[in-house]
Amino acid sequence: MLVLLSIIQLFYVLTLAPLIVGIISRLEEKIESKEGPSIFQPYRDLIKLFRKENVVPEQSSPIFRIGPYISFALYMLLTLVLPIITAFPLQFGPVVDFIGGGLVFGAAGTIKKITSLDSRNNYSHLGTSRSASMSALSEPITVLIFIMLGVISQTNNPYVINNVLQTSTSWYLSLTHWFVAAAFFMVLLIETGKLPIESHSNAELGAIDQSMEMEYSGTDLAFFRWGSYVKQFLLMSVFLNVYTIPFWIPMKMNFEFIFIYMGIQLLKLIGLSIVFAFFEESVSKFRLFKNFDYISIAFSLAFLSFLAFYVSR
Amino acid sequence: MNYLFYSLPMIASLIGAFLCFVKREKFEEMISIIFAAFSLISAILILFLSDVSNSFFFIDGISKIMLIIISMIYTLTVIFSTTFLKYIEEPLFQKRFYYLLLNLFAFSMFFSVSVNNFGLIWVGIEATTVTSALLIAVENDESSIEATWRYIIIVSSGLVISFIANILIYAATGTLDISTLLSTNPTSEKLLVFGSMMAIVGYGTKAGIFPMHTWLPDVHGKAPAPVSAIFSGVLLPVALYAIIRVIQFSPISSVKTFALVLGFLTVIIASSLMAIQIHYKRLFAYSTMENMGMALIGISLGGYALLGVMILIISHAFAKSSTFFLSGNLFSRYKTTKIDEIKGVSKRMPSTAYALLFSAMAITGMPPFGTFFGEIMIILVLLATMPTGYTILLLSFLALAFISLNFKVGKMIFSNSEGENMERKRVGTIVPIIDTVLSLLIVFFIPWIEKVIR
Amino acid sequence: MKELFMLIGFSEILLVLFMQWEVYVTKIVKTFSISSYLIAIFLFYLGFVQKSYLVLILAILAAVLRGFFIPNFILQRLARDPWREREAKSIMGTATSITVSLMIVIFTYVLYELTLYNFVKISFGALPISLIFQGAFLIISRRNTFIQLIGYMVMENAAFLLTGYLFPDLPFSVEAGSVLDLIGVVMISGIIMRMRENSVKKSDDFDELKG
Repeated sequence: MLVLLSIIQLFYVLTLAPLIVGIISRLEEKIESKEGPSIFQPYRDLIKLFRKENVVPEQSSPIFRIGPYISFALYMLLTLVLPIITAFPLQFGPVVDFIGGGLVFGAAGTIKKITSLDSRNNYSHLGTSRSASMSALSEPITVLIFIMLGVISQTNNPYVINNVLQTSTSWYLSLTHWFVAAAFFMVLLIETGKLPIESHSNAELGAIDQSMEMEYSGTDLAFFRWGSYVKQFLLMSVFLNVYTIPFWIPMKMNFEFIFIYMGIQLLKLIGLSIVFAFFEESVSKFRLFKNFDYISIAFSLAFLSFLAFYVSR
Repeated sequence: MNYLFYSLPMIASLIGAFLCFVKREKFEEMISIIFAAFSLISAILILFLSDVSNSFFFIDGISKIMLIIISMIYTLTVIFSTTFLKYIEEPLFQKRFYYLLLNLFAFSMFFSVSVNNFGLIWVGIEATTVTSALLIAVENDESSIEATWRYIIIVSSGLVISFIANILIYAATGTLDISTLLSTNPTSEKLLVFGSMMAIVGYGTKAGIFPMHTWLPDVHGKAPAPVSAIFSGVLLPVALYAIIRVIQFSPISSVKTFALVLGFLTVIIASSLMAIQIHYKRLFAYSTMENMGMALIGISLGGYALLGVMILIISHAFAKSSTFFLSGNLFSRYKTTKIDEIKGVSKRMPSTAYALLFSAMAITGMPPFGTFFGEIMIILVLLATMPTGYTILLLSFLALAFISLNFKVGKMIFSNSEGENMERKRVGTIVPIIDTVLSLLIVFFIPWIEKVIR
Repeated sequence: MKELFMLIGFSEILLVLFMQWEVYVTKIVKTFSISSYLIAIFLFYLGFVQKSYLVLILAILAAVLRGFFIPNFILQRLARDPWREREAKSIMGTATSITVSLMIVIFTYVLYELTLYNFVKISFGALPISLIFQGAFLIISRRNTFIQLIGYMVMENAAFLLTGYLFPDLPFSVEAGSVLDLIGVVMISGIIMRMRENSVKKSDDFDELKG
């Protein structure tokens, strides 16, 4: 039964991830009073890329080819272990806890960096070094956040954290929790490459993620893209289901509720997409070095949650 | 009704301030002199009245002496200002505002030393910052404005610390009335210790005590001479007055040790920095710091040392205001603040030169002057209560201060110089000479001061 | 009550962190205004709960003077293009100053726990005290006079918050006197700051203010 639910969850994520991206970009265009692309445009992009042939740089090693597949596989693994449509562990739930999940995320990111280094393109190297320095500084924040969640729930299990926040009003309303949530929101913007951090253009002055996949084409690029869609979907789900709106997720095995909840989860994600769209339209991109100031604010928030915990003791 | 008498110095200076709004030629100078003199007379009269402690006033011997010094220096400063202000080329504002602020400044100091509420002392001392800040910037050039800004920001921040200290003292004792504080036992002694230490640091900012003294040389170096004189002579002792009260109501050994350490550090830092000064006003400023450090040591020791502190404060007030007045004379003639560029004062400005020589001796504690007796009392108590090493350390730094100040002043006075006599006439030299003589005559009043503060 | 105090205290800390981040003076002044209003709201609630009209008056004083009058006064004092007034060259990087400011908060908390907490037994007291240090750090880390003045007023506000929460029965005359003094300091600083902008350049450097 859990296996079945796991497979359902996997398909749910893989199929809906491009949709969320499409919704966000469409909303942004709408806010700018433009018509905008269809919300299914990311699907079309992926299908188009799957049909194209792969072009591989001459100097690159085999890592360049297998990188996208490994990272996509890692994201698929993560899909199986996070609370997305159920608040109880599925078949693979016990495999990793929150820290382990963070490590898998990190591994996927590292593989992407290695492959883009392997592409021997100067712009890719530029993006890689930027991305590496950003993630080197944002990683401690993530660790702090996990520690604080551990303080709240006494475990590192995302399912337990969800259950604690779902049932305990005092924890849900505590400053500790909201500081963690705010810090995670800021990290979320970094990880998903949203606006104050990077813009969606190939201009080398500010490009981080875009320049990393510059040498990819065809199926490889499709897997990279899809992987990053899935990553965004997962992080948004975690933000919703663990940090901010942990409600209504079925805590007991009940197919009816789970199917109803799958609809609610989509609504939640669309709600968050609206927030993202408005956020992206209302802020402008920071200068590259201002990004680190942003990270320090996120770090402060995560640390203040510590303080809030001790002060409210 | 009887209590109204105690507020006469305050009322006089306040009326003097308000009358400065009248627009008439020379009127504000006359008014200020009259009311300053009136406040001096009333302060002397208060000396013969009994101590008082009611809901507003708390006036005992120390307050009375503070009232007298303030009114004395206030009067002399006003008189000296009438002759000095014309040397300022582009004053910041009209003369009327200068006297208005000076009178308000005196009012806030009178207020600080006579109220019975520790919180209101804080209010009064903060008010001295507000009223005196613009006086520093009268010269209206870039560096004096910078000095003013440093004064405002450092002193105000320091006073926030003492505000917190007030809160803590209130938390420990449940009252801020000085008369009640002196008689009640604190509910939490440790909290009181903490509050008292913070109060010493906070008020020490205003008194030029070590950790937050940095504004002091800048301000004294850049303020016009009469303002430097009133700052050095009475503003800093008013801040010390608050510290005296703190030590009085929390006579706990750790607080006293803390004050002693700060006083020692102040003396050490100030004396060491005096040796490398190249501007004479900054040199005198550091000398003030050194004297305040000595006074803080005396306050922390208590007993006879407190008598020494009062003598030191009084005679230092006279001597230091004299040196600053004289440095104003030098500046008005030589147009420089550097020691090296001033030569042959004894030939070109004889009365200024000899008055400066004697007042420099007075501020460094040369025997016939009152400062010597003040310092010797403090040192004797230190010798009796602490190991001898401390006294030797202190004496060596006092000697360093003595040598560097007198050497530099001597260099200015006795060096050779061509040039005709350019001595200032009348008030410009008479006021500092009176000051210097007073700092000598104070010696004869020592038994009487002792009677007052007991 | 406690929850409200914690909320207000932490928002104040966050607002100071935001001030460390911001370079434009107008925004910092507006942030300060917000933080004063927060304190006023807190005092208002406190007066309401304790049914003390003195605290209510303090709340109104805080809102009118600290929240409205002083920020507007400073904004008027700014140069002709207020939006242009900013910290041109900061002493340390923004990220460093934010982190240091945060570390100050942590340090103060530890210090507070070791010392004052033993007498007061209220762990929220650390918040206003760390705000005081943060304000001091804001003064140290910036060169712009307006921002330094704001730093001083953050310290003042913190003292106000501390009294408001821990010792609301402090004599009213003291509180009112402190407010009056604050106005005085702000007025004087306003004059000085205006003068600093168009002062006569007599001396090329601050040689006289060294040593």
